[in-house]
Order: sequence, then structure tokens, then C-alpha cells
Amino acid sequence: MDQTDVGKVSRLAERLACHSCDLVFDISVLDDGESASCTRCGEFLTRYRADELERVIAYSSAALILLGLACSYPFMSFKSSGLESTMTLPQTALNLWHYGLPGEALLVGAFIVLIPGLVMLLMLMLAIALVLEKHYRWLRPVGRLLFTLQSWCMVDVYFVGVLVSLVKIGHMATVIMGLSFWAYAVFSLLFVLAISVLDRVQCWHRIEVLSRP
Amino acid sequence: MSDKPKTAASQGLASCHLCLKLVSVDVHVCPRCGSAIHLRKSNSLERTLAFLVTASILYIPANLLPIMITDQLGQPTESTIIGGVVLLIDMGSMPIAAVIFFASVMIPVSKLAMMYYLCWSVRHGPPETARQRTVFYRITEFIGKWSMIDVFVVAILVALVNLNNLLVIRPGTATVAFAGVVIASILAAESFDPRLMWDQQEDNNE
Ligand SMILES: [Zn+2]
Ligand SMILES: [Zn+2]
Repeated sequence: MDQTDVGKVSRLAERLACHSCDLVFDISVLDDGESASCTRCGEFLTRYRADELERVIAYSSAALILLGLACSYPFMSFKSSGLESTMTLPQTALNLWHYGLPGEALLVGAFIVLIPGLVMLLMLMLAIALVLEKHYRWLRPVGRLLFTLQSWCMVDVYFVGVLVSLVKIGHMATVIMGLSFWAYAVFSLLFVLAISVLDRVQCWHRIEVLSRP
Repeated sequence: MSDKPKTAASQGLASCHLCLKLVSVDVHVCPRCGSAIHLRKSNSLERTLAFLVTASILYIPANLLPIMITDQLGQPTESTIIGGVVLLIDMGSMPIAAVIFFASVMIPVSKLAMMYYLCWSVRHGPPETARQRTVFYRITEFIGKWSMIDVFVVAILVALVNLNNLLVIRPGTATVAFAGVVIASILAAESFDPRLMWDQQEDNNE
């Protein structure tokens, strides 16, 4: 099991079973940018990118900064008949709590800020350790947590929800977008990019190589 | 015939659900990531059905209870999901009405129906449609979280529209039921093992 990057070709002496239909494939030679898919059911298997980790570091660190901005500035303001109300991103969840729905407030907060933020942070830690080729004891638990939490991020869904809300109340009053709105828009884009760039198989293969004594 | 791809199970191999490492079936803990290894997701059908039934039951209060309450000049108006769609049609915003109807009614209902069908098809479906059913599964898995859009819209409106006595929007209890439907259906999709649909075909070949 040696990964020797001869030029821009990945060589993982590894086989992979399709997680949809269980067929085994040889993924040992993949060119930079090349991906492998299951020939029987079409499931995506893995993609090798020579600059994968650098991209993950760029996307996830930028995403974390933007999430910080999105949490500290006004998100949107609503003006009608001389009155004005302003919301921030954390208020999306906190106001549900005030109206007596603490469980739901936690879920919403977790899906749109807490889990996505944690996923970006874990991704950044992992990618930095892998770029530096340093082995840390936390690599395996961080990797497990990262890939488990990924399906509980709803950044993109929330952003579309914001657009739907705008259309729903746009006719009732003037809605002004704050800095946080734009920060969250860019954050969701970077988040989706980071998730799609980090390849599960390649990432675990790197962790495995590093963990070897 | 020797270079024709074979299934992992037929070679006595199991793959880790988390890091996809291939190991011998008698290994129970993944040597690479430390996760538990099962040849197939454990009790896949039973767990999927349990989550599906939960989601179906929660879907009833999600539609009957008010999803949000609008206090206009102290006058409360409760609205349900369907009520909101009808209102949007009355206001002439057909495209938005269509999006909401699609996201809050069509997607959850067809997702549940599809998952029930997939569970049934593991034992009774025609093996030659396995590829098609895998595509259906992938679509259901992908769209699952998008049903959460209604809950988010209510949460956003509640946070944004808060003009003291003039206009206040409060969350209704249906949002809790609706969030439950979304989570139960995501868990149902995660518990389902699409490889079971292909195993049936493998058994027939042997
Ligand atoms: Zn496959
Ligand atoms: Zn593993």
C-alpha cells in the first residue's frame, strides 16, 4: 500500500466496493482530475485531485471567516409603516426558543450554523495535518466525526429558504439585506465547494498512510 | 470471465460504511477508521420501516396544525402548509406557490412512497430493475434535506417580521412535526441499504 505520486498520478494499491451495489473495482491508477464510477449502477466512487488538500484548506478557512462575519452582522431588515425590525443569523434559531420551541431552535441552529461550522473546522484541521504529513492521534476520530456530520448540514437549503422568504414577504414591506446575508451566501458556496472537493476514499487513504508506524 | 468485476460479498469481503475500506468479513472493527463493520447495514429493512412509519405519522399533524401564526394589529391568523399555498395562488404568485407545493407536499409524500416501494422491492421487486431502483434511491437520498425548507422559512419570518403591535409572525406547532418528518425520513434513507436490491440479483445468478 504505497502512495507514490509519480507526476500527477495517484497510485493507491487499493480496491473499492461500490457502496450501492457491492461490485469491486480497482482504483489504483487515477490521473489528476480523473474520477471512477461504478460500471453497473453508475455510483460515483472516487476522484483523485493532486491539489485536493490545498483547495480544501482554501475553501474551509475562507468559509469559517465568512461564517464568523455572517454571525456578527445584521442579516436582513424589514421596514413597514415607519417601523423597522432587524434579524441576525443566530436569531433564526434563538427566536424559536423565545416562542417556546427549544428543541426546534437547537435543530435549526445546528443545521445552519453549528454543524456546518464544525465540519469546516474539522476539515481544515484534517487537511492541514495531511498537507504537513504529520500524524496526530486525533486524525481518526476527527475523520469519523467529519464524515458522519456531513449529512446533517443544511447550508444550501437554508439559503434557498431565505430566498423563498424574501418572495413571500417582499410585497408586504421593504426588505433590506445586511452584510451577514452576503457573507452567508458566499459561505454556502464555499461550503458546498469544500464538501465536494474532499474525497472520502483519498482522504482516508492519506490518513492510513500517515498512521502507519 | 475471470476479469469480470465481482461483488465484495461473493469474495468474502465487507466494506466499511464510513471510509469504504475493504476488509475480510470476519473483521469487525475497521483497521483504518475504527468504525464497526457489517457486511450489510444491520437490520436495514426493519430500521428503515420504523423511521418511515414515524415520518408518515408525523406528517398528519404537520399538515393539520398551524405552521405559523400572523398577528396583524393584534388579530391572529393561523396558517397551514396547504393554506399558505392557496394564499400564494390567490395573490397571483404561481411560481412560488408551485415551489412551496413541490417542496412541502410533493417531495415528502413521494419520498415516503418511494422508500416504502424500495423496501418492498428488496424481497418482491423484479431483479432486473435494480439499477433503476438504485437511481430512485439516490434521488430520494439527495432530496431528503430539502423538505426542511418550510421550517427554515417559518424560522426566518419569525425572526424578521417583528413589528411590535403592527405585525408579528409566530411559529406554529406544525413546524416541530414537520422537522420530525424531515429527520425521520433522512434517517430512513440512511438506514436503507441499496446493496440488498442487488443481492437478490446475485442470488439468482448463482
Ligand atoms: Zn455500483
Ligand atoms: Zn473504516
